[in-house]
Formats: sequence, structure tokens, C-alpha cells
Amino acid sequence: MSDALTTTAAASVSDGVATGTTDPAGAGRDLDVILDIADLSVAYATGSGDLVAVKDVNLQVRRGEILGIAGESGSGKTTMAATLLRLLKKPGRVSGGTAQFFPGSAPEGVDLLAITGNRLRRLRWSSLSYLPQGSMNSLNPVARIERQFADVILEHAPKRKAELPTLIPRLLQQVGLDPSVARSYPHELSGGMRQRVLMAIAISLEPDLIVADEPTTALDVTVQRVILQTLADLSRDSGVTIILISHDMGVHAQLADRVAVMLDGAVVEVGEVRQVFHQPQHEYTRRLIESIPKLAGAAVGVNAGHPVATGEDDR
Amino acid sequence: MSFPLAGGTSTEPALEPGAPPPEERSSLWERRPWFRYALRCFLLYLASLWGALTIAFFFFRMLPGDPVSTVLQSMQQQYGTTVQASGDLVARYRTEFGLDGSVIEQYLRFMKNLVLHQDFGPSLLSYPTPAQDVIGAALPWTIGLMGITAVLSWVIGVAAGAIAGWRRGRLGAEVTANVAIAFSQMPFYFVALVLVYVFSYLLGVLPNRSAYDSQLTPGWNLEFIGSVLQHGILPAVSIVVIGSLGWLLSTRMLIVPLLGEDFLSYAEAKGLRPSVILRKYALRNCYLPQVTAFGLGLGFIFNGNVLVEQLFSYPGLGSTLVAAIKLQDLNTIMGITSLAIFAVLTANFVLELVLPLLDPRIKGWR
Ligand SMILES: Nc1ncnc2c1ncn2[C@@H]1O[C@H](COP(=O)(O)OP(=O)(O)OP(=O)(O)O)[C@@H](O)[C@H]1O
Ligand SMILES: [Mg+2]
Repeated sequence: MSDALTTTAAASVSDGVATGTTDPAGAGRDLDVILDIADLSVAYATGSGDLVAVKDVNLQVRRGEILGIAGESGSGKTTMAATLLRLLKKPGRVSGGTAQFFPGSAPEGVDLLAITGNRLRRLRWSSLSYLPQGSMNSLNPVARIERQFADVILEHAPKRKAELPTLIPRLLQQVGLDPSVARSYPHELSGGMRQRVLMAIAISLEPDLIVADEPTTALDVTVQRVILQTLADLSRDSGVTIILISHDMGVHAQLADRVAVMLDGAVVEVGEVRQVFHQPQHEYTRRLIESIPKLAGAAVGVNAGHPVATGEDDR
Repeated sequence: MSFPLAGGTSTEPALEPGAPPPEERSSLWERRPWFRYALRCFLLYLASLWGALTIAFFFFRMLPGDPVSTVLQSMQQQYGTTVQASGDLVARYRTEFGLDGSVIEQYLRFMKNLVLHQDFGPSLLSYPTPAQDVIGAALPWTIGLMGITAVLSWVIGVAAGAIAGWRRGRLGAEVTANVAIAFSQMPFYFVALVLVYVFSYLLGVLPNRSAYDSQLTPGWNLEFIGSVLQHGILPAVSIVVIGSLGWLLSTRMLIVPLLGEDFLSYAEAKGLRPSVILRKYALRNCYLPQVTAFGLGLGFIFNGNVLVEQLFSYPGLGSTLVAAIKLQDLNTIMGITSLAIFAVLTANFVLELVLPLLDPRIKGWR
């Protein structure tokens, strides 16, 4: 065990932050599963046969938690996210499994992998939302930011039309952006601003579940902090469930309640973040933890579910 | 400690919103960069207009042939008399056609008459009617037929191409695309002849000659307008059938690579309707090249479409131009050329002002 982790363990205990199973607020909800992934396999058809990118994954996401998914590049994290969001494109194909989703609008549960057409469309965003990596060109280059809020809000909640002029600035402010950003086009924004816009759009309809794929990768620490803070606030205040994909174990340490570790498409370890960090069961997990860069003067802290400190520059 | 990455004194460049710069004491120029941009475009437009007209003028002066001797010849044939072209007569005609003096003098006079009076001098086609009047008689027919069919071809072709691209890989879309590829290579007159054969000869429901019923006197009455529309159907349909195929194929080619873009997946994840994604996300990103091409093509319709006009005996600039070239009717040729130059450059100028509205990334000002 590295020095950093030993120190962190002591620090966390002294912080007295309750996490995971010992969290009083979390008591009793642990059994409340919002997404039940069973035997999920996804393959890409390639010239030289099938490439199995996700292998027999069994994973239960609990209502209200932040579930981190870790794993090095190519381990199948994005493929799994795309599959759950039903954005998997050819040559990818689900070769087996189910993903029972229990949103507020359908407590009896729907299989995310089987639902189609308008039923799927209506589930989107209001129940199942997506926070992509900001460096992708996820925003429509020829539409103003406000349009890109308005189209999704009007599609799923047409009654809120009158609210839009106040709702959009509020959402932007929530992620530390000036309301004037609403009138901008994507190319006029920096990468960090675009990521924040995506964050604000993702939460605009208060979904049950947000799938966030590398939402902080390639961002400077300030923007990282805003994104993570917003996710933490959202989880704490609105009980939104978050699947947080990141190859950066430091991000999981800061934010996740539980972590699942993926290796070559398989989930090799799942557990409370504290437990995974302190008693990694798998050699690969240990290596991932050891790869966390130690920043000058600060050790990596395991601080599950704990709100992230904000600076005065966060509007 | 609780948040290791939170420490540090990072500057915050990302917080600067894309808002307009703070209000300072600034001139109209600085506050309205669009103004400066529009003015620059306009000056460039005037300069290229002048340049193109000048080149056209000297080009046509360099061509062999002498309009004056052509006039005299045709008068001899017409009146059967042997007009002994006296020096006086020739000189009079040279003056009348603007051919006296040095080329530079002729050029200055041409420019002056063009700018001040839009006057190109007498035509040979129907001497002594001025060339601009000959052109003016043909112009409405050309604009009517070519203009309307250009718009129709674009709208139909772009819409069909968007759908064909969107549904690529499906049977219907692939069949449509392949049929379009095959037919777009087909000569226009083939389609026109098939249509004429079916609708004029076999069914006898549509006229295939002229622009209106010659028994009617042109005027703004229902009967005449109906006749014009009826006569326009066959030429219009043959132009639109072939013209829209080109737009279909190019739009499809623009849409297909867009389908892999992140912002389309994101729109899908948002749960937007497919029709909205197609129109507001995919097609919206194709407007820039398609509107540009349309705008430039719109300029060229002023050359008329000779094939259409000949096939359907339709009055228009194309036939006028061909007749003028045969007769070496310099003034009329110059007039039509000037009109085409004016139309193309004006379309281009308007495009430069409008395109930034279609795609905010190509702001010309700043
Ligand atoms: N369209 C595709 N066609 C074929 N193979 C693919 C395709 N997309 C992904 N793969 C393969 O699937 C595997 C998993 O890729 P995936 O993008 O899910 O990894 P990841 O964990 O998200 O990696 P990263 O951390 O780099 O984002 C990789 O081996 C990749 O090569
Ligand atoms: Mg990925």
C-alpha cells in the first residue's frame, strides 16, 4: 500500500465523513436498484471476426448513487455507455443480456436494450440523460446554445415553454456560466465552457439517471471542479443517479460512492469506493490506483459522496 | 485535503463568456463590424463588376467581323437595291453602333452609356430597336421559366437528397440514389422528348410549342396567364426532373458523412424526433454549400437555356443569344453578356452577406 493511500485513510477517518453503507441517508436505499445490467455482452463485427468489447457484465446501479466506472483505455467503458444509452452504432451489436431500468415514470421497469421507437424516445433525457465528453462535437455547430436547450426541453416538457427565458440562464449559472452564453454558438466557446453547457443541458430535465462518459477528461482543474461539483450537488440535492465513466481513479476517489473496474470488457471488481481503494481485490485495480498522479502538496483523498469544495470564482 | 484537485491558484480563462466587448466610446465601425464587412464586399463587388465588363468589352472587340458591313449587306438583300456604301453612310452607321474612334474612346463611351442610360446601342437582330429592348422582350420568359424551375429543382432535390442520405442503406433510398445517378447522366432533351411524346402526341393534353397560345393577346388576364402556365409545364418539368437529380445527389453526399457526427448521436440521445434531427441538425449543416451553389447557378440562368428554348420554341435569352451570335450582333451580345455578368456577381455579393447567417462559423467580419 502506498504512503499516499495510508495517509488518505487516516485523513478520511479524521474527516469523519460517512460514506457508502454507513451513510444514514443511504440506509435502506441500497436495495433500491435503478438499473440492473445482467449478462451484458457487446461485440463489434470486424474484418477478422467479432471483437467482444463488453463481456458478460453484471452490474446493479443503486438509486441515488454515483457509480464510477474505471478502466484503462480500450476496456469497453464507452461501448457500455453507448449501449445503455442506445447509441451503439454499427458494427457494434448487443450479443446478449438485459438492462432493466426503473425510472420514476416506469417503476415496473423497462429493458433498455429492448425498448424502441417512441417509447425509447420519450424515456430519453427526462429519465435517461447523457453527458458526453466536451471535446466531442456534441453541440450542433449552426445553432445557438439556447436553441439546443430549448429543443430538448420543448420536446419532453412542452408545458415549460414560458419558463425557458428564466430556466436557461438559471441552468447556465448553475454550472458557472454567464447567461449571455445562451446567445453564443458552440465555436465561440472554449472547451471548458462547452463541457459546462453540456452539463447544464444534461440536467435540464432533472433525469433519473445520467450517464457521464469522461466528463472531466482534458479539462483544466477549475472546470473539472465545476463539473464534479455540479454532479455532486445534483446527486445530493435531487437524488439523481449518476454513472460516471472515467479512466482517472482520482475522479472516482473524489466523487463516486462505488466503483466498478473494467478490464478488457469485463467488470473485474465492484465495491464501495473506500473499500476498493483500500483493499483492492484485483491486481489490475491496484495498478490503476497506483497510477494516480500525486499532485504537489496534496495526496489523493478518498472522499466518496462528499461535496467538492468550491472556489470564489465559481459563479 | 478533502479535494486534492481543488487547491492551487488556477486562472480562469474559461469563465469569460462570449459576450460583446464592454461598451467603450467606439465609432459605428467598431460597434458594427458587419457594416465594415458589407461595405468591403460592396466595393469588391463594384470592382469585379467593372473588371469583368471591361474584359468582356475588349474580348468582343477583338473578334473578327464588322457589324456595319453586315447591316449594309442585309439592307441590300432586303431592298434588292445595290446600295453603294458611301463613306458618309458607313461613317454614320459606325457612329450609330458606337464603332467610331479609337477602341479606348469606344470603351469609354460604352461604359458611359451603360452606367448612365443602360443603353447598348441598336441591335442588328431587329434594327433599329435598341439591344436592351430586344433583351428586355426575351428576359421575362427566361426569368419566369428558368427562375421558377431553378427554385423548384433546388427545393425538390435537396429535400429528396436529405431523405435519401438519411435512410442510406435501406432499399428505397439506395434505389432512389442509383436511379438518380443513372438519370442525371441522361441528356436533358431525352427527358423532354419523352414528355413531349407522351403528353403532347399520345395524350394530347399539353402544348409543346411556344410560350402561350398565339391567338391570345398578351396581358394580365386569367386566360392568358393560364395559357402561359399550360405552355410552361412541359419545359419546366423536363428542367426540374433533370435539375433536381443533381441537387439530390449532392445533398445526399453531404448528408452521409454528417451521420457519423457526434452532434447527431447527441440529438438522438436527447430524444428528438427523427424529422427534427434531419431538418435542424443534419440538413441545416448542408445549407452552406447548397445555397452557395444555388446562388451562383442563379446568375447563370440569364444566359438562358438554348436547348429548352429550341426544343419548345420558347422565347428566351438563349435563342436571342444564338441568333445574335449568328448575325454578329455585337451590341446584343454585349448586352446579354453584361446582364449575365451583373447577375452572377450580384448573386455572389448577396451570398457573401447571407452565408454568415446560414453558418455562424464563417463570419467574414471581425
Ligand atoms: N466502431 C468500432 N468498431 C470496432 N471496434 C471498436 C469500435 N469502437 C470501439 N471498438 C473497440 O472496442 C473496444 C472498447 O472501446 P471503448 O471505446 O469502449 O473503450 P473505452 O474504455 O471507452 O476507452 P477510452 O478510455 O480510451 O475511451 C476497443 O478495443 C476498441 O478498439
Ligand atoms: Mg471511452
